[in-house]
Amino acid sequence: MPSLIGNSSSALYGELDLIGSNKDKEKKSIKGEKIYEIQSKGNSTTQKRRLRSQTTRDSPISSPSKPCSPTKWKLPRRCISGSPNSSGISKESNDKLSRFSKSLQKRLSDTFLPKYSEQMNAVKEVLHVSTTPSVVVCREEEQKRVLELCKGCIEQEKAGSVYVCGCPGTGKSLSMEKVKQLLVGWAEEILEKYQPRKKISVALSPLQHLQNLFSQKKQSSGEKMMLIIVDELDYLITKDRSVLHDLFMLTTYPFSRCLLIGIANAIDLADRFLPRLQPLNCKPMVVTFRAYSKDQILKILQERLMALPYNAFQPQALELCARKVAAASGDMRKALCVCRSAIEMLEVELRDPTCNMNLVLVEKTLCGQQTAPPTEFSAKQEIDTVRVDHMAIALTKTFKSPVVDIIQSLPQHQQIILCSAVKLFRRGKKDTTVGELNRFYSDICKSVLIPQVGILELSSMCRGLSDQGLLKLGQSREDKLKRVTLQVDEADIIFALQGIRFFQNCLQ
Amino acid sequence: MEGENQAEKALILIRSRICNPSYIFTPFSDSPESNYSKLKFIISNSVTEACNNSILLLGPRGCGKIAVLNLVLRDLLAEHPDMVSVIRLNGLLHSDDNCALKEIARQLCVEHQLLFSKMASFDDNSQFMISMLRECGLAHKTIIFVLDEFDLFAQGKQRLLYSLLDAMQSITSQAVVIGVSCRLDADQLLEKRVRSRFSHRKLLFLPPSKEELQRLLEHILSLPIDSSFSHDYAMEFNAKLHKIVGDCRFTEIVDTLSGSDSTVNHLLKFLFRAVCCMDLDFGFLTLENFKTAILSIQRQPKLECLQDCSVLELYILVCMKRLEDKEQNSYNFNSVMKEYKGIHDSYQTSDYYARNVCLRAFEHLLQRELICFTDNRGQSQSVEFRPVKLLISSHELYPGLKSNRSCPLAY
Repeated sequence: MPSLIGNSSSALYGELDLIGSNKDKEKKSIKGEKIYEIQSKGNSTTQKRRLRSQTTRDSPISSPSKPCSPTKWKLPRRCISGSPNSSGISKESNDKLSRFSKSLQKRLSDTFLPKYSEQMNAVKEVLHVSTTPSVVVCREEEQKRVLELCKGCIEQEKAGSVYVCGCPGTGKSLSMEKVKQLLVGWAEEILEKYQPRKKISVALSPLQHLQNLFSQKKQSSGEKMMLIIVDELDYLITKDRSVLHDLFMLTTYPFSRCLLIGIANAIDLADRFLPRLQPLNCKPMVVTFRAYSKDQILKILQERLMALPYNAFQPQALELCARKVAAASGDMRKALCVCRSAIEMLEVELRDPTCNMNLVLVEKTLCGQQTAPPTEFSAKQEIDTVRVDHMAIALTKTFKSPVVDIIQSLPQHQQIILCSAVKLFRRGKKDTTVGELNRFYSDICKSVLIPQVGILELSSMCRGLSDQGLLKLGQSREDKLKRVTLQVDEADIIFALQGIRFFQNCLQ
Repeated sequence: MEGENQAEKALILIRSRICNPSYIFTPFSDSPESNYSKLKFIISNSVTEACNNSILLLGPRGCGKIAVLNLVLRDLLAEHPDMVSVIRLNGLLHSDDNCALKEIARQLCVEHQLLFSKMASFDDNSQFMISMLRECGLAHKTIIFVLDEFDLFAQGKQRLLYSLLDAMQSITSQAVVIGVSCRLDADQLLEKRVRSRFSHRKLLFLPPSKEELQRLLEHILSLPIDSSFSHDYAMEFNAKLHKIVGDCRFTEIVDTLSGSDSTVNHLLKFLFRAVCCMDLDFGFLTLENFKTAILSIQRQPKLECLQDCSVLELYILVCMKRLEDKEQNSYNFNSVMKEYKGIHDSYQTSDYYARNVCLRAFEHLLQRELICFTDNRGQSQSVEFRPVKLLISSHELYPGLKSNRSCPLAY
């Protein structure tokens, strides 16, 4: 008996309610069972706009209570299309059956058929960096801390400051946005006597004005707390550090009513640049956002993909991506980028010679409405999801540097120049002049009986190589005396040229 | 008469082809694996799906990055005429943030027929850019930023890059940032938060392989078999061309050419020269044209200088070389004279000239810049006592000696 996912909160995402809002209430009345709406093939951009407006959840910070496993979503699909065990759904589907049978075409979007570009677009959009999920998972702890501090400050009507730090791509700005929204919601709900907060996201505010505001005694304008979020705080660091100091000192004024949240990358910014705050006992609370671990990345990706009713990625592929990105930097943006390019790999693969395979699949699902056995179905689905090899290719494309390819495609004489540089620097010296390089270069050319080029052409080739970032040329009046250093690893050069026997002998 | 007209027309056609980058790079853009298709796929996805993207085009200079990008943009503008607007910035001109924002604001104004004020401040310009991004996002119009010489934008604080890439992280904007650079490690130059916002897509533009080179040559140089040329002339031209291209001497020439620089630009310069050498009376390209072209590319100015030297001057140069071989680091005219006398004594040559004649030859060499003074301080001393050095190396001297017609020394 297929069990539909009973928990309401996370399943809301499955309903892209484009038919009407009253359907929402209808669905809520159905106890414990949800129908997964089919995405209509509307204009993809209008779909995008509406998706964004529908991010309502009741408890944003609570962690999702169930572990998300995408495979579970397959079951109700199979029910509808195939097996007779669809009694769970048949009750509700009576009124909906008309809609289902109306467009057979639409039924095909139950599964992930990449040949439908709308589905691809939806997947890519869900994975885009600019799509903010409505629940920020894996950062509940940090959000709670900041929220507690802010709530405490608001209730006690005093000022406070927080310093949020962490590597790029760890969700700092995202979480602070969330905190801001929550604070607004909380304050309006519970503490009605407070007027709505004035939120400013500033990089450089008229400090003097604020300072005057906070040092005056009479605050006849009522009890307004100000929440200031400063992103990329380290751009405010000046030589005498006055701007930063003044900003954080705003919280020390006797009548100050501001909550300051500063976001930056450096972990010790508060210690290094704000030592004067310590004796005044107003050091900001430091919340560190650690880089994501493999499990966290995996959870976030799965959470995002749960928005879609179909299964676009194989679980092993997601795991590979999470593991690789967590080992490299723990940057969430990179993980999303890699997933998007894996989808594009799939698109490219399917666009090319295998369109016949897609047609066969479509035919089968068309004629095998009621009788398609589930196993064959899932087997076909395996072909059309993002597999581990797609993900592997996407990962190499992202993490590989183009140096080896470029070295292999260099013209012959430039490769000889690189070789002579490698041989020169093997002796321990780390830089040399163009004249000496020329000597080594001519030695190599003589040993292989290749006619060498003159010094003029050699120095212009060196300049070309330094443009590309392979060598570094110093400045000098005379060409021969310019200093040369290698910018790439010797191992890269050897690896790139290993296929050519001449260079192998040369570099022995 | 008729033949000359045809030859002239052919010349004009081929020259105009060589100077037209979109013609040159079209044959590379056919296959789905080519950079053209990949770039087009990415940008048109961004335009139609209304999502933001960033990409870096890397490759040596002269490999066609901007040419292919222009091809893609031209096709996109033809397909979606009102949905795309292009802003072009260059790292050499606009690496300063103020300049860059001013330029962006100016181009946006021109595009949308607004008035641009030169007095606008940095803040005004950045506000304008942000609101334009938002407006265009709402109108589903994609703004494509082309940043040429991307590595130069990565100097300093990278504020422009950060603000552009950060604007793309928000939902309201619809923009594509395309960076073009010849430095391979352009993305390593970015600060870590800018790099985090950059989408790590890179397209590599490599110089063409040998097969592609062949295809390109035929593509550029063959005449079309249509009404603009007489059928016989065109067929004969193409047949002769095909024979030349298949000749092993021609392959040798092309190999020498691409041994030092294998980019498409270099090849185009060579072809232009070769085509211009075409004899209009004969009316067809010959192997000689290509040989002349490669010789003119591989000029050795010092060698040509040496060919014109007199015997005495050559003697002086050889003496200086010998002194250098003997590890004498600084020598002047007097030491050279001593060496000269030494050679004369040991070899018993008949070419012994008086001192003042030698001094005049010495001064000739100085003027021709084959030798020069080692320092500029001794202006008060006479020519004979100032230290000099050779400006040509030994492997330039030897062929020079060999090629000089009247040189008696078997060095």
